[in-house]
Amino acid sequence: MKDNAPIIETHGLRRDFKEVRALDSLDLTITPGELFGLVGPDGAGKTTTLRLLAGLLDISDGSATVAGFDLKRQPEAIKHHVGYMAQIFSLYGELSVVENMRFFAKMYDVTDDEIGPRMERLLSFANLTEFKDRRGAQLSGGMQKKLALACTLIHEPEILLLDEPTTGVDPISRREFWGILTELHLGGTTIVVSTPYMDEADRCSRVGLMYDGRMIRCDTPRRLRAEIHGDVVVIRHEDWRSVRHAIEKTAGILQVQTYGEALHLVVDSAEKRIPQIEALLRREGLRGAEIHQAPARMEEAFISLIREREASVESTQEV
Amino acid sequence: MSLRRLWAVAVKEYNHIMRDPITLGLVILAPTVLLIVMAFAVTVNIQHVPIAVLDYDRSPTSRAFIQRMTAGDDLDLYAQVDEFEEVDSMLLRGKIKAAIVINPRFAEELLAMRSMPLLVIIDGTEPQSGALALDHIASRTEEFLSQKLAQNLEALGAPSDSLQMLDLRVRTWFNPGLKSKNDVVPGLISLVLGLPAMSVALTLAREREHGTLEQLIATPVGRSELILGKMLPYILVGLVNVVLIPTVAILVFRIPFHGNYLLFFLLSAIFLFAILGMGTIIGVFIRTQAAALALSFLVIFFPAFFLTGIFFPIAALPEVMRMESLVLPGTHFAIITRGIFLPGVGLDVLWPYAIMLFGLGVAFSAIAALFFRKKLG
Amino acid sequence: MFRRIWALAVKEFYHLRYDWWMPAFMLFGGALELILVGWATSRPMTNLPLMVLDEDQSPASRQVITSLENTGTFTLEALVFDETPIREAMVQGSIYAAVIIPPDFSEKMASANQVPILAVLLNGAESTPATAALRAVEGLAREMGQEIAVKRLGIDADEFAGFDFSVRTWYNESFSEAYYTTPAELALMLEFTVLLFAALAFSRERELGTLEQLLVMPLTSFEIIIGKSIPVVLVGFFDFSLMLSMVHFVFKVPIRGSLPLLLLLALGYLFVELAKGMAISVFSRSQHQAFLLVMILGFVDFMFTGYAAPVESMPKFLQGVAQFIPAQHWLAILRGIMLKGANLQVLWPNLLALLILGLVIGAVSLRYVRRALS
Repeated sequence: MKDNAPIIETHGLRRDFKEVRALDSLDLTITPGELFGLVGPDGAGKTTTLRLLAGLLDISDGSATVAGFDLKRQPEAIKHHVGYMAQIFSLYGELSVVENMRFFAKMYDVTDDEIGPRMERLLSFANLTEFKDRRGAQLSGGMQKKLALACTLIHEPEILLLDEPTTGVDPISRREFWGILTELHLGGTTIVVSTPYMDEADRCSRVGLMYDGRMIRCDTPRRLRAEIHGDVVVIRHEDWRSVRHAIEKTAGILQVQTYGEALHLVVDSAEKRIPQIEALLRREGLRGAEIHQAPARMEEAFISLIREREASVESTQEV
Repeated sequence: MSLRRLWAVAVKEYNHIMRDPITLGLVILAPTVLLIVMAFAVTVNIQHVPIAVLDYDRSPTSRAFIQRMTAGDDLDLYAQVDEFEEVDSMLLRGKIKAAIVINPRFAEELLAMRSMPLLVIIDGTEPQSGALALDHIASRTEEFLSQKLAQNLEALGAPSDSLQMLDLRVRTWFNPGLKSKNDVVPGLISLVLGLPAMSVALTLAREREHGTLEQLIATPVGRSELILGKMLPYILVGLVNVVLIPTVAILVFRIPFHGNYLLFFLLSAIFLFAILGMGTIIGVFIRTQAAALALSFLVIFFPAFFLTGIFFPIAALPEVMRMESLVLPGTHFAIITRGIFLPGVGLDVLWPYAIMLFGLGVAFSAIAALFFRKKLG
Repeated sequence: MFRRIWALAVKEFYHLRYDWWMPAFMLFGGALELILVGWATSRPMTNLPLMVLDEDQSPASRQVITSLENTGTFTLEALVFDETPIREAMVQGSIYAAVIIPPDFSEKMASANQVPILAVLLNGAESTPATAALRAVEGLAREMGQEIAVKRLGIDADEFAGFDFSVRTWYNESFSEAYYTTPAELALMLEFTVLLFAALAFSRERELGTLEQLLVMPLTSFEIIIGKSIPVVLVGFFDFSLMLSMVHFVFKVPIRGSLPLLLLLALGYLFVELAKGMAISVFSRSQHQAFLLVMILGFVDFMFTGYAAPVESMPKFLQGVAQFIPAQHWLAILRGIMLKGANLQVLWPNLLALLILGLVIGAVSLRYVRRALS
């Protein structure tokens, strides 16, 4: 039976850096076994959140409980239950893969007889076995991230806090990485992962959308996608540049994104606008365009929500 | 505190040091080079000080006098001149460090035992040569004078030994020739052995700069485990120098060593503990290696040079600085080193300093651990 | 081109601002250090603790003790009654000298032809103060000896002018120790500051991995070098001016020669050390290495400047080497201008040497750095 008491809970968590409020009033509840995604642009506060939860930063205001321990008063106790993976490669370049792992195992008080078997398992888990004696500085970007992950797993923590673990990693490694995360998720580990990749957000059980130090939405991916204001329309045409140029002035178009040769638009109403666009293109002599409505993706939902937020912020300022 | 974690930190630090052999070589070499350079500078006998002579008298007496002055290696007669302007110009250009001007009635005055008609000009810009020249001139003048006076007295028929001045008997303990090198070099040894402290100041700052500190403080590792674990390998490196450097001093500079080497080794280890503790404190507060270097230069190196009694006696320092010097591990270790090298004293005399060093080590490490926060930013 | 160089220099200044501890220490720490150290080292040897064992206990012996105190070199630490406390104090290092007046001292003094004896014990473990003590006692002994001689020989005291010759100390009439020590310390601090600063320039970027980024930008290696040099030169020059004014106003060391000339030459010397530092910085793989190399090279330099021992005393071969050390010429120039009021006419050999050395070192270093950067 899953214990549904939250494993991470924050109330009004705040963090200021001199003049910048990196995180403002975060109220977050994460239940055990969740795979929670933190999504948002640079500077939104994702890294700050993770670092606070890992006990690496002082709290400016508010409170939080992680794995049953109070974050302000017992930060060191939390560290045994949490595996934190930093955004940049934060391991020792001059030590080999196994030396790094052994070091962190000892830091986490993994007993001597456990270290050997766990390392073997993690190395094969992460496909690093044949590189085990290679120095950290000589690993590829993807391998470095996998090593870092292995080092956070060596003490078998209940909670994983991963800061952009797949950024800068090749697609194959990225897929491997998520394979590992999925297995861990199935095994009951609570995972909080921050990511700039929208497709990864889709894999999470819940996603928290962060912007400008606040969490503006927190929900399942499906419901978030549904929150988009408007419909998604996809146009395919060879001369997509001209198409883009042509529709620029059209009313009712909320977003335009280029994807290779395709244009993804968000319009206020697909019913209304698709015929309009078709007519416009025909007038401009751009024939043979494929236009159809498509289901919303995280990316569009995300941008839409942020725009909405920006607009509401502006209007409150005007008042 | 978990010894296991402490040891793991020490092993990691050790691997880091060992895998950078160039730096390791430099860390071991630097103190040795410094010692050689400074010991050389101190042990060099000041000789061949160039002087000029202006002889207005030109008598046999004055010529004999000049001969006596320039005999030997101490003073070199750079030139005998006829005009005062030449003396001026030579001093200005640094060609000579001192000049002797012999009055026109030199021989006459001396015969009448009235005075010593001599003018000595020394270059006041250099600490060594001028003063030494003066010294030599003074002692040789005295010799010449007593000889001359004795001759005069004999000529007068008076017993020449009635001219005996005061008999000053000089006894020097621990260092028969009062050779400055014998006590300054041990002091230098104590100075250079503390050099690794500047390297240790870097380790924490380096982890910050490279970003590895983040992952490290996310683990349950304790602050004192981290501090002490990082110090251990540098104590080891320091001990290598404890073997190397006295060897160089004894073999190359022929410094006498009268004490117990094992005792020296042990006390050196305590000293390293203290001074590395000092270095670690810097690392705790400073974020970048460059700043840590600059600061350790100012706080560790220069005070060690000037305030520990190696070159300048502590008794001559103003009160405030005397207090400061007590807190520097180098001060106590200089006493220990000199004591073991020269008089060869043992623990019975040195124990207060050993205790002091240990106490400083504990205090510094504690301060470092206390002020080190396992937080970013 | 200048815009790019300037942009690079500005970036460097931003670094300095973020890491403001470092230039702050170098500037103000250096000046502070100079004050403290200058103050401590420029004090003459006075108040050396002295122990006296007076076995005579006569007016004559008491006169000796008073005279010893009047030399200004000693403070009477204790009057003792046997050698034991002296021995203990020496071993502990708390006294540097002790004087023993034997029981028959006054008797012999008053006699017609007996030689009075004074014994002085020196702490050889502290040779510097012990030597100073010895000098003071010798001086006193000489004086006393002359008095005895005059009395016994019946020489007319009025006619007797004393056998001490006159001594004139040029350039340093007040015999201030600070005149000796502070210019040398100033030169030393400047050298180390500039060397360290310059040595960190590239080694830091190499260590942190940002050097690559710098190299892919459309800057020529020449521009990079200039851009990196600007902060070093500015900070170094400011530092020098600051310390110079301190030496002048706090320690009252005069600047008898031309100040503009001095500043100009300082700038020139700065460039030479900058070149050396840059070469070190490109050669090193990490800041730690750069620092250690600076220590080693800086100290070797230091030895040759004559700060610790005059160059003439070194073996001929080393004297020759000393001519190739820029710092040696710089110190001569610094002392020359400040204390001797020397001008170009006098200093031109050193200046020429500095110029030639500077050009050679600069050219070699430039080539080396450029090659390393591309």
